[in-house]
Amino acid sequence: MSTILGELAGVKAKSARYTSLHLLAKLALPFSISLSLLHATEPVQALSLAAVSALACILAGVSLKVLKKYIAVIVSMSAFIVLAFTLFTNLPGRMLYEITLWRMEAEKGVLEWKLSVTDTSLNYAAAFILRILAMVLSAALFLATVSDRDLVWGLLSLRMPFGVCVAASLFFRGTQLFISDFHTVREAMMARGVDFARTSLAKRFLLYVNALIPLLSLMITRSYEVSLALESRGIAPKSRMASGYHSFKLNRHDYTVVALSILLLLAFAAWGWLA
Amino acid sequence: MSKAVVVKDVWWKYVGREDYALKGIELEIEKGELLAVMGHSGSGKTSLALTLTGIIPQRIPGEFKGAVEVFGMDTLSVDVTDIAKRVAVVFEDPEIQFVMSTVEDEIVISLEPLKLSREEIRERLEWSLELVGLPTSFLRRAPLQLSGGEKQRVAIAAAVARRPDLIILDEPTSDLDPVGKEEVMSALKRLRDELDTTILLIEHESEHVAEFADRVAVLKEGRVVLEGDPAFVFTQTQVLRSSGVSPPEVSELSSALGLPPLYRFEDAVEAFMRVVKEFKALDIDEEPHVGDTLIECKNVEFTYPGGVKALREASISVREGELIALVGPNGGGKTTLAKIMCGLLRPDRGEVRVLGRRVEDYDRLTLSSLVGYVYQNPDHQIFNKTVYEEIAFGLKLRKLPDDEIDRKVLHALELFGLRGLEREHPFFLSKGEKRRLALASVYVLDPKVLIVDEPTTGQDMGFNELLFKTLRDLTREGRAVIVITHSIPLASRYSDRLAVVKGGRVIANDSPRRVLVSPEADEWRLTKPQVLRLALRLGLNSGLTPLSVKELEKMIVLVAS
Repeated sequence: MSTILGELAGVKAKSARYTSLHLLAKLALPFSISLSLLHATEPVQALSLAAVSALACILAGVSLKVLKKYIAVIVSMSAFIVLAFTLFTNLPGRMLYEITLWRMEAEKGVLEWKLSVTDTSLNYAAAFILRILAMVLSAALFLATVSDRDLVWGLLSLRMPFGVCVAASLFFRGTQLFISDFHTVREAMMARGVDFARTSLAKRFLLYVNALIPLLSLMITRSYEVSLALESRGIAPKSRMASGYHSFKLNRHDYTVVALSILLLLAFAAWGWLA
Repeated sequence: MSKAVVVKDVWWKYVGREDYALKGIELEIEKGELLAVMGHSGSGKTSLALTLTGIIPQRIPGEFKGAVEVFGMDTLSVDVTDIAKRVAVVFEDPEIQFVMSTVEDEIVISLEPLKLSREEIRERLEWSLELVGLPTSFLRRAPLQLSGGEKQRVAIAAAVARRPDLIILDEPTSDLDPVGKEEVMSALKRLRDELDTTILLIEHESEHVAEFADRVAVLKEGRVVLEGDPAFVFTQTQVLRSSGVSPPEVSELSSALGLPPLYRFEDAVEAFMRVVKEFKALDIDEEPHVGDTLIECKNVEFTYPGGVKALREASISVREGELIALVGPNGGGKTTLAKIMCGLLRPDRGEVRVLGRRVEDYDRLTLSSLVGYVYQNPDHQIFNKTVYEEIAFGLKLRKLPDDEIDRKVLHALELFGLRGLEREHPFFLSKGEKRRLALASVYVLDPKVLIVDEPTTGQDMGFNELLFKTLRDLTREGRAVIVITHSIPLASRYSDRLAVVKGGRVIANDSPRRVLVSPEADEWRLTKPQVLRLALRLGLNSGLTPLSVKELEKMIVLVAS
């Protein structure tokens, strides 16, 4: 079964045991990591959480190569975080480096803008960067192990209305179709002579804005056709599942993963409280 | 017989439209009957189908007059979800109907609103798949990864599993290759033979309708212009043609030879066997008048990033003044080969030359001026705010003077019948107009080779004939035209060569007559024109190959004469 990240970026979890877990178990672990982030304020705590996320990915068979695609995003965000804690915030602590960038003396006093690097600002920056890393890994764990089928039947087993479940499934399919349509429209422009490699950034931007016309037209047409098809099958937003054709009972493995997730959350909450 | 459907003086206008889509429709369908509805694109066939489901007027805004009763249910007052318990619809595009990621879930989700037990759902699942000729191993497969014919059969299974009293099939074969069409038609045959269900079949291909329908209704601009049993309807050639419908070729032939009306193929074979004395040879000018080579592809190989090998040592040449039809099954490599020819894809191996120069040596602007590509779905290609701007886009990109742009755009507007729509937003054009606009916007660049990807899909016969005539005219200007199509009868009548692309290879590339009578033609599963099949069944020697009714009419010598 193709997962969400598998459809969008070709990344799949290799562990059949993990992917066959109940949706609740597959939701519990990344959700617990995300909640634990609130308590991981120290770099050591954030590092431990990033390590737990990485370990969970490895056990689930999600290749850490997935990070390669997001390295540019992670590095640029890290740079912004460091700048934010050194250029725009004066955090107390042991001063490691200080330089005045701008100074103005006025009648009512002196106005200064300093770059101050303290041990606290570095600690904060490190903790934030590691928390982002943990978030990226837990998101990868979720998206690479959950398929749209899991979502639909998982939501149905939670007694959600049919319309909500089908909408969730269609959202992911719609995203795929949008990406595929975008590539076709871009190719169609090239077929008429547009050379994107040699086109200026401003012109390229205008062309992409133009591309929104067919993309919107396709989206509207598709949405209309899909809604007609659903209505004609008697599937309405308020319909409810009645048969219980698919049974979704938690097994021993699911309970273990859910229990471990709760323990993880409690451990980090305790560690955060003690610190 | 009692009535399954009664449509009384129905008028329907979509909100924002000036004209009515349905104008005073009166129609009845008996229980257990198969009624075929035919007509040109935009004649109101789908709107009529939607009135039977209650979606019109309950879910779509517009102006509705008249009354529709389906099994005694008034579609104005009974809710759509309740009507859906007895009426199932299969739409033209199977993909749009799929919401789930396995065949099993797709069928189960149709059954969920019926509140059946788990065991009954399982039983219906297996029964419906069996009915459409699919094994239960398909249950775990992803619907989107199936072939066209398999997808449509899954959609039919999902509809049939609900055991509806009325099944509406809205052009179920129009998106399919000949193999897919065959699969769906045999599923439809089982449906008709094994179930006592009332069926409404909307279909462009009269040959299919003739085989299955008990009665035929023809729509033109929202009105029923012809109604009756196939034997009557298919003799009304003039009304049919003016409604964008071509009668079955055997029907036209029997009428041209002054024989009693015939419309079913097997009946025609039997009747003609009795009256045909012999066949005369015809002097047919076979060799096309072609010029220099424009494109040469040699041993081209191409693999998509996902690892799908689309082309394997494919070779083909394209010459000035010829019309080539690329035919073959879906996924065979036709579109990939075409995109390689216009440089949108770069081959992994092999060589492509355009006007003697390697395709890699051209810049995008020059190459797109030499080889134009028209996409299958015009919505992918149209991105300007007016029809005029859309056609002028490529010319402006080439920085042509304004007066020259104006002259060329006006010529293209005239040629493709778009005059008067210059200031219209392309979004509001009809499907046929959009398709012509897409063609015009590529034609205006004056390419030496024009590649058109599946232009006939979902269009009526009248439009398709006109389109092929226009493409044929373009070759007389010295251009080469390549058409990717599933319509073998049209392709064989208009093209100089049929190039069969299958499994990534060009496995045949010759005149339509030679390709269609070659011993491998059946193995390639090319659907021969009805007249050719008839002639071969009557024992016509394969050296004489009629491709049109007129040709076979001239060849036949009747017993009486």
